[in-house]
Amino acid sequence: MSLKFLQRFNVKDRLLGLIVPLFVLALWQGAVSQHLFSELLLVPPLTLWNTIIELFRSGDLISNIQVSLNRVFLGFLLGGSAGFILGVGMGLSPVINRALGPLVKVLQQVPELAWMPMIILLFGIDEFARIFFIAIGAFYPMIFNTYQGVSGVPEKYHELARVFDYKSFRYLSKVIIPSALPSIITGIRLSIGLSWMFLVGAELFGTESGVGFLMIMGRQMFQIDVVMAGLVVIGTLGLIINTLLKKFEQFVLRGRVSFDGGAA
Amino acid sequence: MTISNKTKAFLGSSIVPLLLVIVWQYVASSGYVASFILPSPNQIIKTFVTNFVEKEYALHIAASLKRVLIGFLIGTVSGFSFGLLMGLSRTAEKIFGPFFNVIRQVPIIGFIPLIIMWFGVTELPRIIIITVAAFYPVTLNTFAGIRNVPKEYFELSSVYGYKGLKLIRRIVIPAALPSITTGITLALGMSWAMLMAAELFIQTYFGIGTRIQLGRDKFNMALVIVGIITVGALGFFMTTIVEQLAKALDRGKIIRKET
Amino acid sequence: MSVAKGTLEIRNLSKSYVVDNNPLQILKNINITFPAGAFVSILGSSGCGKTTLLRIMLGLETSYEGDALIDGEKIEGPGSNRGIVFQDHRLLPWLTVGENVAFGLDKLNRKTKKLLVDEHLKLVGLSGFEGAYPAQLSGGMAQRVAIARALANKPEILLLDEPLGALDALTRMYMQKELERLWEFEKITMIMVTHDVDEAIYLSDKIIIMSSRPGIINKIINIPSSRPRDRASSEFMQIKAEILNEFHLGSEYPFAYAI
Repeated sequence: MSLKFLQRFNVKDRLLGLIVPLFVLALWQGAVSQHLFSELLLVPPLTLWNTIIELFRSGDLISNIQVSLNRVFLGFLLGGSAGFILGVGMGLSPVINRALGPLVKVLQQVPELAWMPMIILLFGIDEFARIFFIAIGAFYPMIFNTYQGVSGVPEKYHELARVFDYKSFRYLSKVIIPSALPSIITGIRLSIGLSWMFLVGAELFGTESGVGFLMIMGRQMFQIDVVMAGLVVIGTLGLIINTLLKKFEQFVLRGRVSFDGGAA
Repeated sequence: MTISNKTKAFLGSSIVPLLLVIVWQYVASSGYVASFILPSPNQIIKTFVTNFVEKEYALHIAASLKRVLIGFLIGTVSGFSFGLLMGLSRTAEKIFGPFFNVIRQVPIIGFIPLIIMWFGVTELPRIIIITVAAFYPVTLNTFAGIRNVPKEYFELSSVYGYKGLKLIRRIVIPAALPSITTGITLALGMSWAMLMAAELFIQTYFGIGTRIQLGRDKFNMALVIVGIITVGALGFFMTTIVEQLAKALDRGKIIRKET
Repeated sequence: MSVAKGTLEIRNLSKSYVVDNNPLQILKNINITFPAGAFVSILGSSGCGKTTLLRIMLGLETSYEGDALIDGEKIEGPGSNRGIVFQDHRLLPWLTVGENVAFGLDKLNRKTKKLLVDEHLKLVGLSGFEGAYPAQLSGGMAQRVAIARALANKPEILLLDEPLGALDALTRMYMQKELERLWEFEKITMIMVTHDVDEAIYLSDKIIIMSSRPGIINKIINIPSSRPRDRASSEFMQIKAEILNEFHLGSEYPFAYAI
């Protein structure tokens, strides 16, 4: 992995990429030491680093990360699988597509966050409300991409399945899903990305645990270092999740150089 | 024949929503569920009408539209410039690309607590959130669009002596246009979505998000639903307009794509 | 083994589509018998309905007038007694070569499956390639895998829809030799649709020449000569001249002078 990375970007290129971060860091440190801003509004980079380490050591960070990851996972599982099942159904059956397609399209016009007050009215600000909200975020990319993939299975593969007498579950698992897989995986990637985004939204509406909770507490107690630490953690975890998902995608789609099957 | 098919398709797609409305009306009027949890369609229409008769609701809508428009415009223009710079210069890409890609991983909503602390509960942090939401997709799609301009076009340009600004205006931007307009359409959707974050998390007197929040605080579900419908419908109209504009700009490009 | 089996008969077969409310006749009054164990080519320019005829034999087209019978029984749909090689190899890109060959053997146990896959990959000269993916193969290799997949099911009849149409001229001639070898080894009926005159003469016991609008049988030519055939022999040339004449492409001079 690291070898491949080095091949793509040589050392000089990677040093170029460090210019902006170092510049920002210098500007930041400079602003702090010149007392351009109050320490309340901008802590020195080193203080931020110490805060992160401290939060780590005390175990606060770890336990809150766990809670947040758990929420994302459950929300994605709920919304993602609903989107997947409906997407497959709509992709395979014109009847289901006609019945559900327009409804989904209309609902999709509503920004996800606008549902949150309604969800809170229905369920109260509890764990289920948060997970349900994340599930809404995870639902759309999954149903959309699964539908695209399944309805886009080339006619030639349908024919092949008929010639070799593939039916029902075998047809689905051996032909439809593998053929739609690149699109489905894109759906999973977007879906988890949005789950992560809406996790933060869900937690800002009020919670007593999670990375978002750390940030709310930081804000209320005017500890800007904690708020920034939360931001760093959210960004880093997002980056890690995204990288892992890309690796996962490469692994699952290995061997498929051209998806149309080469010369065809 | 085509008409009857269309009618059939329309009827097919209205069955589920129709059933939902009927069940909804039935359950709501049966009294099993409190009306503040599940108002009947009737009640919602009434709330809708009173809302739109009041002059105040127009002010809420205007406030939201203004916010989105400002953020969207700033985000689009700056995203286009930044994407253009990184698309044209590999050095610029190497300098700014990695930083941009890392920062982009932070969910936009996550910035809200920080910028509230910096700028207070004012209009500025709201605009910033919406601007950033528009900035990312425009940057990415402008960049990708320019990088995908076929090499042949550049060869042709050098044969005819196109250079500098002329090359950018006459070749690069028109060739990258479909991707750029896609970015702008996405940017509008993202701005609209983040408008809700801006209005729900950064308290304000005016805005559709405020109205939805008000409905929640007053335990008035009808108000919440009217707000949701307003947001959805406005988002839909705006996206449709931008999509049509993009199509109009893209005249004649379809042929090029297929060859 | 299945020596007597594998006779395919087409009786009084006609088929038409409706295009813009006008019926368009694709096939008109087709009568052919494909004897068991024979290699028969259907030759015609594009649009003569030869692929439609093949799809009827395969069982993918089921609406037509007349009869299509295998060993006296009506074709109801695709079945394991017929194998097919499409013009595009139609290998599934997410399966390895070995898994693609095993595609029709799903109901067998692992050991038998492996045995059959190995046997047929060896037959087409691709032992050791079972772990490769289709995208890694050349066009000729991919088509050989497709042939192995079709033969692995032990069909009585192998249908070939312009199987070598996508290959370059030299690979094509090599693959024709391979097909002949496979036909002699398997001793099954092979029915090939092609528009390549040389290919048809080189491989067939019998050539069915079709013309278009509507698709009818123009002529049936039997080729009794021994194998392998010499593409440069005068007998080969004479048959070629006879066929080209059918398409009004014959030379004005007899071929004897041309040699």
